[in-house]
Amino acid sequence: METGFAVMAALFLASAVRISVPLLVGTLGETVTERAGHLNLGVEGMMMLGASAGFLVAVRTDSVLLALLAAILGSGAGALLYAVLTVTFRANQVVTGLALTIFGTGVANTLGKTVVGENPPPAVQAFFALKPLHADLSGIRDVPVLGPVAGFVDAAFLQHNVYVYGAVALALLLAWFLRRTRAGLHLRAIGENPAAADASGIRVIAGKYAAILAGGMMCGLAGLYMPLVHIQTWTDNITGGRGWIVVALVIFVRWDPLKATLGALLFGALAIVGFLLQAYPQLSGSILFSQYVIDMYPYLMTLLALVLANAGRKKGWQGPGALSVPYFREER
Amino acid sequence: MIRIVRKEDTVGLRAWAVRAGAILAALAASVLLVLLMGYDPIRTFGAMLQGAFGTEYGRINTIIMAVALAMTALAVSVAFSMKFWNIGAEGQILMGAFAATAAARVLPEGTPPVLLVLACLLAGLAGGAAWALVPGLFRIYLGTNETLFTLMMNYIAIKFVVLLRCLAWKDPAANGFPVIAEIPAGAFLPPVLGVHAGWILAVLLAVATYYFLRSTKLGYEIRVVGESERTARYAGMDVRRVVVTGVLVSGAMAGLTGAVKLMGVAHTLSETVAGGDGFTAIIIAWLANLSAPGIVVASVLFAALKQGTLAMEIVGSPPSLSDVIKGLILMAALSTEFFLRYRIAVERRDAHATAVHPPAGPGQAEGGPSAEAGAPAEEGG
Amino acid sequence: MTLRKTAVLVLALVLVLASLLMTGCTNAATTKVKVGVLYISPVDDGGWSQAHKRGIDAAVAEIGAAKVELMELQSINDTDTTATNAAIDQLVSAGCQIIFATSFNYMNAVAAKAKQYPNVKFEHCSGYLTDANMDNYFGQIEQPRYLSGIVAGMKTASGKIGYVAAFPLPEVIRGINAFTLGVLSVNPSAKVYVRWTNTWYGPDVEKEAAVALLNEGCDVLSQHQDSPAALKAAEEKNAFGIGYDNPMGSAAPKAYLTAPIWNWGAYYAKKIKAVMDKTWKVETYWGGMKEGMVALDALSALAPSGAQAKIDAVTVDLKAQGNDYIFKGPLKDQTGAVKVEAGKSMTRDEQMSMSWFVEGVVGEIPSGS
Repeated sequence: METGFAVMAALFLASAVRISVPLLVGTLGETVTERAGHLNLGVEGMMMLGASAGFLVAVRTDSVLLALLAAILGSGAGALLYAVLTVTFRANQVVTGLALTIFGTGVANTLGKTVVGENPPPAVQAFFALKPLHADLSGIRDVPVLGPVAGFVDAAFLQHNVYVYGAVALALLLAWFLRRTRAGLHLRAIGENPAAADASGIRVIAGKYAAILAGGMMCGLAGLYMPLVHIQTWTDNITGGRGWIVVALVIFVRWDPLKATLGALLFGALAIVGFLLQAYPQLSGSILFSQYVIDMYPYLMTLLALVLANAGRKKGWQGPGALSVPYFREER
Repeated sequence: MIRIVRKEDTVGLRAWAVRAGAILAALAASVLLVLLMGYDPIRTFGAMLQGAFGTEYGRINTIIMAVALAMTALAVSVAFSMKFWNIGAEGQILMGAFAATAAARVLPEGTPPVLLVLACLLAGLAGGAAWALVPGLFRIYLGTNETLFTLMMNYIAIKFVVLLRCLAWKDPAANGFPVIAEIPAGAFLPPVLGVHAGWILAVLLAVATYYFLRSTKLGYEIRVVGESERTARYAGMDVRRVVVTGVLVSGAMAGLTGAVKLMGVAHTLSETVAGGDGFTAIIIAWLANLSAPGIVVASVLFAALKQGTLAMEIVGSPPSLSDVIKGLILMAALSTEFFLRYRIAVERRDAHATAVHPPAGPGQAEGGPSAEAGAPAEEGG
Repeated sequence: MTLRKTAVLVLALVLVLASLLMTGCTNAATTKVKVGVLYISPVDDGGWSQAHKRGIDAAVAEIGAAKVELMELQSINDTDTTATNAAIDQLVSAGCQIIFATSFNYMNAVAAKAKQYPNVKFEHCSGYLTDANMDNYFGQIEQPRYLSGIVAGMKTASGKIGYVAAFPLPEVIRGINAFTLGVLSVNPSAKVYVRWTNTWYGPDVEKEAAVALLNEGCDVLSQHQDSPAALKAAEEKNAFGIGYDNPMGSAAPKAYLTAPIWNWGAYYAKKIKAVMDKTWKVETYWGGMKEGMVALDALSALAPSGAQAKIDAVTVDLKAQGNDYIFKGPLKDQTGAVKVEAGKSMTRDEQMSMSWFVEGVVGEIPSGS
């Protein structure tokens, strides 16, 4: 088998794409939530809820659609709890989010016990084995330049399952929604300055509920990817802290769904680059390329992004203006 | 139309009774849940109580866990009192434990235990304070959101300790296993009445924090800054100095907790020395309304839950059940805070309730992590 | 409010009563032997803990369920001393007479607790400390690993075999070397490529390491990991894999060849019976295929033809000679330098501290190991 540099690079990128899916989808969800001014630290819990509910239903029904629906409902329930507590009951967002993570993880691990050791059922497996964009390159393989380039692109980006492209489509859709639609504009207004939004006739409370629920449901879909597609079985804590990486990633990509696709790919690549580097001991022997140090990079980069946003003379935008600031109409 | 109306805060004993009631209601819900899952609730919860308080070693372990939780919750309560949302206690604990380990490794063999213990505790203070200072300075000088900053610092600290354990400080005598060598026995905290001496520090810290926030000038300033930075400036306070000092105190207390956990129990540095206490402490501090006595009580409750879980597991209930119970308690308690301050009124559409201006207090749901006085709603508007 | 208060009071009373009940219960049952077990992960992890659970269940079945009261604690992190101490205290408080601690890093905590509770027997897996009431037990998994190497060596078409490995420790290095020697015994030109994951159990990380190896052209994977993730990765890429700990065929039926597996049951039964008969004696136990501590799972239909005959033949030698059969000279390291001369075998101590790869392994042992 050919293992030239280009082939290795393409296969590495393909791995990074696959591992970035839960990061991307989770980031999209948390972006929606934070755009409405709510910092929901319950991402991990909602991912777990979605993962367990979705995988449970997948195993019992062998239906992709029902699994997705169950994931959405499971994580949506968690998000609803968070919304009631923080929007209506005015509880502290940080504390509520932490509580949701504990609760969601506990419920999910309890539910998951009933499907331990199960593989995804046949129809689900077959569905995610499809590679809808995989190109037949036999005709142009030997064409100079075009052949190798097409081969590279195909190997890196076009041999993935529906979940991957669904995630990218969701990112595009969300970018369009936030920038080009009236509802998106309203959502951003609520997150920037709820009092002003309220005064201009936007239904702030309804908007917040909608954003938190939609965001939570996306987190559930992010979680479902782990047992259904990636690991293909259930284990305790299957999302493995990805919810927290998502919280960092949202900041790193500056609440932007389009940048989130690249940011997720970068964080995904960092998570696995160590395995590639092990083939080059002269590199991985150096402390800078040690996996232990590489593991710090996502968080260091996020801090850098956070700091750079308001360094310099002209302060840049540092995220939704009213992020994690509660809004009570009566106490305006 | 249903409206949410601000009412006179329920305070004092009555408020604490309501909070306790909410927790017991959550426990009652848990009993139902256990029944639904097909377990015997009497056996399960009986085992939990028995495990947490019923035996000598159960009690000792409950206290050991409560000491760490209480110290950390006290640490974050100082920062929370000035609305500096330090959710970086997890990292500060680890860096405290790291600094204490470093001190123990640097000091020559044969250092008298008293000196060694003191040096390690001081190093822990410094380690935690330094780790908290970074987000503090960025907040003051650049206005960086400290919630997000301190959260990220946790993961950097965790990865840093993993790096030490697996690479830099890996114990050559451990047969290749990625562990750091134990600190010298002279640096262990000696047991007093069956529990390592850290509990004395915890009690002292609880009393000190109580008086610090209530009766000292700096404590007063911290509370004023917490109510409103604008007011603090108007009153002529140097807000930057107050925030830096408060952050240093908060971080130092968390760092001390790390040193105590290392010297009292773990004896070897690893990322599990913090073990999630930094996050649990946030919840505890909040549930206790940032009051030191409340923190002590809530810490014992959470520690008992953690210790009791082991006993529950022994009689066959799933380990994840305790997370569910914990979650239920938290949700119940969080909604209680609402009902202590508001009531739901059904009124005619045109009848406007007069908004009562909320009295300031840390437990009140006003102001968020990035709330710089007066600024949040204006930015980007 | 009064209603709530009443409810609260009633509930509190119930809980207090319950605790009293519990005390009564535990005192009543004294005829059974009480056995405690600490697991590092859930007992249904499909890997290490599940293998121990299988052993415990086998032991209980052998002795009779009516005679044993089992108290198990799962997912006790072995680097978390607070949790480990609390767990052991809890088991002792519940009356356990013998406690199996099934992960290496429990060692220091177990050693300290063994001193604290001299009347309880402690069984520590895979470490090196013993005490008057503390055993150390492990198995020579290298023997079935060698056999699985034969299967892999016969199966590979590319001559490149991947090995997903947890930590660069003597235990793991020994396994890689045994496996490689098995491969080379049937396929002298094959190479074994190693990737470290730095975790015993992490399905996502294990899978990515496996994918990296498959990307490099490996067509058979082996593993020293506790989940079937590498097998699943192999299945996705139409390659083949060898499991570990337990029979793993159901996880990836289209890739699974076989697995070196643990059978702790006989040892567990022996030690529990010894406590019941009051004949318990401290020992350092290192059982092999002869003792039935370790075995190779039945070969799947995907295994190469002729493998079974070859394995049957070598098994006779392994049962007769133990690890000496595997680690006998001449053995060269990766640089070609002779480490064990012809006619000699590695001593037990040399095996226990092995920190070099045999010729045929492609990969680095990170410095500082």
